[in-house]
Amino acid sequence: MRILVVEDEPRLLHNLAKALREEGYAVDTAENGEDGLFKAETYNYDAVVLDIMLPQLDGWGMLERLRKHKKTPVLMLTARDAHTDRVRGLDSGADDYLVKPFDLGELLARVRALIRRAAGQSRSNLQIGDVAIDTRNRTVTLAGQPVTLTAREYAILEYLALHRGEVVTRTDLYEHLFDESDDTLSNLLDVHIFSIRKKLGADLITTRRGQGYCIES
Amino acid sequence: MFTRSIRSKFLLWLAFLLICLLVGFGVTAFELFRTNQNHQIYEQLQRRLSAVAGDISSTTRSRPPGGLNSSNRGRAHHHPKNTSETDPATCETNQPNPSVTNQTESLEPRRRRIPHDHFDDFSPPQKPGESPTFSEGNEFGPPENNQPNEMGEPDFGSNRSRPEPPALKLSAEVLDLFDQSNPKSFYFAVWSPLGRDRLRSSNAPVELEIVSPVVRAGGPQVRTYGDYFESYLHHVNGYRILVGRSIAPELAARRHFVLWLVAAGTIILVAGLCGSWWLAGRALRPVQKISAAASRISAGNLSERIDVAETDNELGQLATTLNSTFSRLESAFEQQKQFTADASHELRTPLAVMISEAQTTLARPRNESEYRETVEACLTTAQQMRKLTESLLELARYDSGQENIRRTPFDLADLTGDAAGLLKSLAAERNVRIETDLSAAPTTGDADRIRQVIINLISNAIYYNKSEGRVRVSSRHTTGEAIVVVEDNGMGIAAEDLPNIFKRFYRADKARSRASGNSGLGLAICKAIVDAHGGQLTVTSKPGEGTTFTLTLPAPTNT
Repeated sequence: MRILVVEDEPRLLHNLAKALREEGYAVDTAENGEDGLFKAETYNYDAVVLDIMLPQLDGWGMLERLRKHKKTPVLMLTARDAHTDRVRGLDSGADDYLVKPFDLGELLARVRALIRRAAGQSRSNLQIGDVAIDTRNRTVTLAGQPVTLTAREYAILEYLALHRGEVVTRTDLYEHLFDESDDTLSNLLDVHIFSIRKKLGADLITTRRGQGYCIES
Repeated sequence: MFTRSIRSKFLLWLAFLLICLLVGFGVTAFELFRTNQNHQIYEQLQRRLSAVAGDISSTTRSRPPGGLNSSNRGRAHHHPKNTSETDPATCETNQPNPSVTNQTESLEPRRRRIPHDHFDDFSPPQKPGESPTFSEGNEFGPPENNQPNEMGEPDFGSNRSRPEPPALKLSAEVLDLFDQSNPKSFYFAVWSPLGRDRLRSSNAPVELEIVSPVVRAGGPQVRTYGDYFESYLHHVNGYRILVGRSIAPELAARRHFVLWLVAAGTIILVAGLCGSWWLAGRALRPVQKISAAASRISAGNLSERIDVAETDNELGQLATTLNSTFSRLESAFEQQKQFTADASHELRTPLAVMISEAQTTLARPRNESEYRETVEACLTTAQQMRKLTESLLELARYDSGQENIRRTPFDLADLTGDAAGLLKSLAAERNVRIETDLSAAPTTGDADRIRQVIINLISNAIYYNKSEGRVRVSSRHTTGEAIVVVEDNGMGIAAEDLPNIFKRFYRADKARSRASGNSGLGLAICKAIVDAHGGQLTVTSKPGEGTTFTLTLPAPTNT
């Protein structure tokens, strides 16, 4: 999953990016509204964490312009806690709202919920045959037995599972799983897929040649 | 409760004044009316009295009774024509006779004893045929019979055999003045000097009292009894002439007039009070509106305003004044609210940093350097918060006026030199050159605070400058003022930001300020310090060309 964090306080931005990356997300960062808008419009993020008080273009303005083209889930993050601000944030197209200072666990849970809802899933447990994915704890079991996956493997599996029945192109996977700082080779993706198949069974992920990968529904 | 309302007080006073006014007016009108009435009656009576007296005079003059002339009474009158009455008082008094005077002779002060009726015995025989309409009093009536003859019959005293005095007779013209068929009309009566009824009109009241023989000064006298108003005089030859009239119609008119006055007064009073109640209510309605609006405002709705419908009257001005006060209050309140929100925002952000730093680090095992990094980040953030809270406290002290300025004399040039020296290394770091042009600028105040201001101004000039930029610092003094100018040729401040840069938490360039760790309170504190010193801090700027801050402090007058 790839997430954009827009926040003008550099320390907070750095910390948020770090926390999200440790959760297995690919994270892009922006320190102002213009930069954030450019990135949000260029890439298909799974979620955007957006501060309101931003230099150049504030959170309201950025969200308004983003909503003209994109339905990317947006979590607004701000120190303004007046209820009018929350209402305005939600009405102007934000999907959720969190007031600073926030609890990191809550932020991560809200981001997970945003991504899940955006993919059309409402439960945090995904069951595909014998394979069960717990998106909350980021664990996978095969016929009740825990299976250890690397963060990247888990991310690929979760993305494919969330988009069950769809063909996910390699580009999609790149875009959603690697952030701009990743310097990955394309065949690395094949390595991860191979590894997943080895751990969870070869039938789980099918390859559509020339199109991408798919978990059959 | 009732008397506490302005409206009621106003009304009570008005009622009091109105009643006083109406009573005064009513009494005056009544008195005028009464006096006028009395005057009219008096005039009428006087005319008739003089006419009768004239007749009496001519009668007595033309035929003076033998042996008894009028002179013995000291009175002479014009002569009534036909009858004459002898003056019987000759034996009693012997006074000079002024002979040819009219009835006003009674002016002449004279005292007479009450004549005894037997001196009147020689009144002439009556001539009833000539004046049937009035009684012709006989002078020789019995002493116990002083009462007038009701029926107008000649009253011959049977117990006397003395010769009758000549009958009195009034001329037709005079009689015309008396409508004897009308009991309400004028009547007359004439008594002989001895108190006998000599003439009496038929409409004279039965209870008519004989005129007292005592002569008073001052001409014809008047008297009233019951509904009757009478005037009488003592004729020179002793006759007492009385003319009277029932004043019942006048009294009725008077009562009517009083009723009318009372009714009109009541109507005016009621109408006046109703009108003024309405007027007072109308006049006070804006007050109620103002009061209602003020209570709505005090209930928390600060944006409420009094509806200023009539701006040209006193209450309109009051409402306008109140509105402007409310506006200032609201803006002060809003400013305070904004400041609180901003302060809260500024404190929340470092808090968020600290919490998320700590939580991220604690989420999984870390190595020592990671922990160190987190602790350092937390420390830096905490220091930033401390700085912010100190700034907020300082501002709060200036706001509440608790900050006392120690006034010691110092020279702004020294201070500015110190500050420029302190910031040399920072300037060098940023590749900015500081130029100084310092001449003495003595002033008084808190030198530490002023140094803080100057350092702030110079470091701003360094921060918001470009590489190879220049900061020019100068000091000078003019009469009564010490001036420091900090000038840079940096990026300048946009025109729309310029009015706001002294506002709290206002940042012209948010990204830069946040990155540099500035709170956005620096210039606000500078301004607060300078204001507390009674000085001025002004700024001019052109984007792309540079900014000039001018600090002006009052200088002591003895330098």
